[in-house]
Amino acid sequence: MLVAALLLPAAAGGAAKDETALAAELFAVPEASVSLGAFEGSPPAAEVRRDGRFLGYLVSSRAAIGSVGYSGKPVDVWLAIDPEARVAGARLVTHQEPILVIGITPEDLEAYVAGFAGLDLETRRLTAAPEARALPEAVAGATVSSAVIKDAILRSGRAVATDRGLLGTRAAGPRLDRSGFAPASWAELLDRGALVRRDITRGEVAQILGQTPPSATEAGRNFITLLAGLATPPSVGQNLLGRRDYESLLAEMGAEDNLLLVAAQGLYSFKGTGYRRSGVFERIELRQDARTIKLTRDAYRNVGAIRAEDAPELREIAVFKLPAASGFDPLRPWELVLLVSRETASGGLVAATFALRYRPPDWILVSAGAEDATAAPRVQAALWQEIWRERAFEIAALALLLLVLAAILVFQDSLARRYRLYRGVRIGFLVVTLVWLGWIAGAQLSVVNVLTFIQALLTGFQWALFLLDPLIFLLWGFVAVGLLFWGRGVFCGWLCPFGALQELLNMAAQRLRIPQLPIPFALHERLWPIKYILFLGLFAVSLHSMTLAFRLAEVEPFKTAIALKFLRDWPYLLYAVGLLGIGLLVPRFFCRYLCPLGAALAIPARLRMFEWLKRRAQCGRECRICASRCPVQAIHPLGQINPNECIHCLNCQTLYYDATTCPPLVARTQRRARASQRAAGGGHAG
Amino acid sequence: MPADRIPRRRCLSILAGLGALALSGDQARRAAALEWRGVALGAEARLLFHGPDRERAQAALRRILAEVERLERIFSLYRPESELCRLNAAGRLAAPSFDLLAVLALGQRISEASGGAFDPSVQPLWRALARHFARRPGAAPTEAQLAPVLALVDHRRIKIAPDRITLGPGMALTLNGIAQGYVTDRVSDLLRGLGFGSVLVQFGETRALPGRVWRVGAPGFGRPFGLSGMAVATSAGAATPLSRDGRWTHLLHPRRGPGDGRFRSVTVVAATAAEADALSTALAVVTAPEADRLARRFPEARVIAIDADGRRLHLGSANTKERSLVLVPALRSPQVGSSPTRPPEN
Repeated sequence: MLVAALLLPAAAGGAAKDETALAAELFAVPEASVSLGAFEGSPPAAEVRRDGRFLGYLVSSRAAIGSVGYSGKPVDVWLAIDPEARVAGARLVTHQEPILVIGITPEDLEAYVAGFAGLDLETRRLTAAPEARALPEAVAGATVSSAVIKDAILRSGRAVATDRGLLGTRAAGPRLDRSGFAPASWAELLDRGALVRRDITRGEVAQILGQTPPSATEAGRNFITLLAGLATPPSVGQNLLGRRDYESLLAEMGAEDNLLLVAAQGLYSFKGTGYRRSGVFERIELRQDARTIKLTRDAYRNVGAIRAEDAPELREIAVFKLPAASGFDPLRPWELVLLVSRETASGGLVAATFALRYRPPDWILVSAGAEDATAAPRVQAALWQEIWRERAFEIAALALLLLVLAAILVFQDSLARRYRLYRGVRIGFLVVTLVWLGWIAGAQLSVVNVLTFIQALLTGFQWALFLLDPLIFLLWGFVAVGLLFWGRGVFCGWLCPFGALQELLNMAAQRLRIPQLPIPFALHERLWPIKYILFLGLFAVSLHSMTLAFRLAEVEPFKTAIALKFLRDWPYLLYAVGLLGIGLLVPRFFCRYLCPLGAALAIPARLRMFEWLKRRAQCGRECRICASRCPVQAIHPLGQINPNECIHCLNCQTLYYDATTCPPLVARTQRRARASQRAAGGGHAG
Repeated sequence: MPADRIPRRRCLSILAGLGALALSGDQARRAAALEWRGVALGAEARLLFHGPDRERAQAALRRILAEVERLERIFSLYRPESELCRLNAAGRLAAPSFDLLAVLALGQRISEASGGAFDPSVQPLWRALARHFARRPGAAPTEAQLAPVLALVDHRRIKIAPDRITLGPGMALTLNGIAQGYVTDRVSDLLRGLGFGSVLVQFGETRALPGRVWRVGAPGFGRPFGLSGMAVATSAGAATPLSRDGRWTHLLHPRRGPGDGRFRSVTVVAATAAEADALSTALAVVTAPEADRLARRFPEARVIAIDADGRRLHLGSANTKERSLVLVPALRSPQVGSSPTRPPEN
């Protein structure tokens, strides 16, 4: 280092010692021979030299493209890129991914990142090995994080390689800049041709429609001011729509789809109302080359206001998604055509069209290859679609499972009447939840998901990020709806693999006549708050540090019991097994008092719309059988079911319909028996 | 080519030789004049650029061909997937293109003004006649033969609304009497939008961009007339006879059949080629007094008819005594110099 510094004092000035060491390690050369230049340029990268000879560049994905992880927090992968645009080495330097919870060791992740060494940034394939290997697919159990990391490596690597001319040799024609962002005001966007505008006066319209010309002052008045532009490039779309709306639109689109913005002011509405009925907008259409493109309701999104600085208030704003399949070419000029029509007295139509011509300005284009030079952190929208296609089978299986659960909940009364069937369905479902959903598919929801979601809402929500894990996404979708309909029980009682494990073990224990430990209600009630405190604590910590929050989320034994299937260090093992052990005596001990996820779901549980768990007037006054048999003691001694605790297992409902157990039913049966005896006796007497 | 395809012949001709087009006779400018020929909507198409650079014209041509292709996808009767064919096949069309709406709305206006002399729903009649004369070119169809088809011809049963077009049962449309004019207009508008001023556009009909006066000939006109910033369309029945005796031609009154005492040709100069096209079609099948009345309803158009005896008539009140043959909306300076006229093609 000293030698290098003496030889190249200027270059060595800006480089920290450990960065030099990292560069040496990634290029696999002795540290003493390496000198590191300053991080310069856009995207920034530092030149690495060995004894003065150029080795390549050192790149930080965070600095180059602002890479963000699944956690919504920065991910930083450092790359060494050689002059042939190959990745010489890669190392994950910082991240706050929730891998600690889902059961991936840091070593797994490091190995995954190191596997990108030899990646040819031009072909996106590994070339170092004799046989061209495929890129590392993903770290099992951390698909989202690995997809995000892969994305960070590819994009930052390509951004630097492109900028430094390493990929320049194979340049093609210009492309639409789908990633570069620069803030721009409304006036600037109009000035620079990102939006085109046409003012149409009432006089013009009257003339074409053959109406009596209004007075001169009337004729000069504005009929409509039509504005349109291609909103696909972030420098246009994100400025116009605001980051959140823009990104949520992008997440719904394919990588080659486009966004069209249409806005207007004035008397005339370009939207009309016909599209609500017919599905097609009948006052505007798009013409490009040989294509006439109709704009449909499905492709349409209403926009409340333009977010760009000094944007005027507009009467109507619409965004249309133009799928690549429509044949729309963002590089070619197009016309937006407005139709103004009038019905004649004889039932005919007089029509006038006004075209607004658009030509893509040069500044929204980039030369080929430079597209990946990204300033705004974003996951490629197409990535999640790829993942969904790959996991189609699991998705279908989960969809089926959720459908079955929905059927169970909808037909709960019919099921509860048939105790044997109920029992079979219940045990069967729990086994599937534990074995397939938990152990095989690895889809255990965790409080980490909740924290990540809240974090995303605070720092810029991206649908694409959550769509990266289809099973978790679907489960959350279902749980969210279930929460609104029935409360937290939909998840806790049916879809939580750890909950299923506890319940199945406890069933076995009762079968083996292991004595159960009843908790007095007064104590029970006072143990409830623990889980809320745990959740709020985790939430508070997550605002400060996601990493720490994820570490503390180990209070959930999910990772040990489900993700890692008990293959873990003994303290974790002891904790998980201990909880399950207590669970043998106190059913679902963890769920009742400790589970922060349950707490998170219980907080909105009061919102539920349906009250389908049936009670009798006698419940809690004359009889407490349900309360005593409730596996989580969610039934208050006074009879009401506490929705914050209820796991919707339907146990109380089977009792409700059990004519041999439920006292009001027993009484009624006896009454009837007596009555019929009497009637029969009377008959004999008569 | 389907049996019922009846190509419209070009009746107008541009004065011979590109040299005659150059105002100054300057050799360099003459060389810069560019001509393009092709086919659009089944008709010959031609563009004459006066003095642009080749690359600009070439680039414009690409745009024009794309636009023509776009319009063919709407108006063609020979492409089963075109909007017109889908409308004819199903009797209805949801979410029609604005081009189709605009053409049908204009067609409706001319239909109403002409009392049905122009009628896009004449297609079933067409088809029947073409089939008939293909089998028996010598014999005129009987009334009984035509009655069921004529019952399907009624422009009032074409319902046009921005969200859907609906036809009466069994009806079908042809836009041959108007779509070529519309294509000519679209190409002209496109060229003007691209900054071209001196182009003569012939896509079935003829329109001259306003940058220059073009000398145009028409049948029955001894001398060419000047045209600038306007469109011209001629209908001449003799151009496409259907029956052997020439009594039946492609120009026939949608309800009366072939007319006696009709014009040899009608030339209409109007602001748009679509209007000139439709109007000339309507005027060619009615009697002289009817034609005069119809022409009066379009005071901005000039109508010049050649009657059966070869006499030239200016129809419509404003035009009867018109002497000047330079048809320019604002500018009326006569074209200087005379040059040999190419004889009319028919």
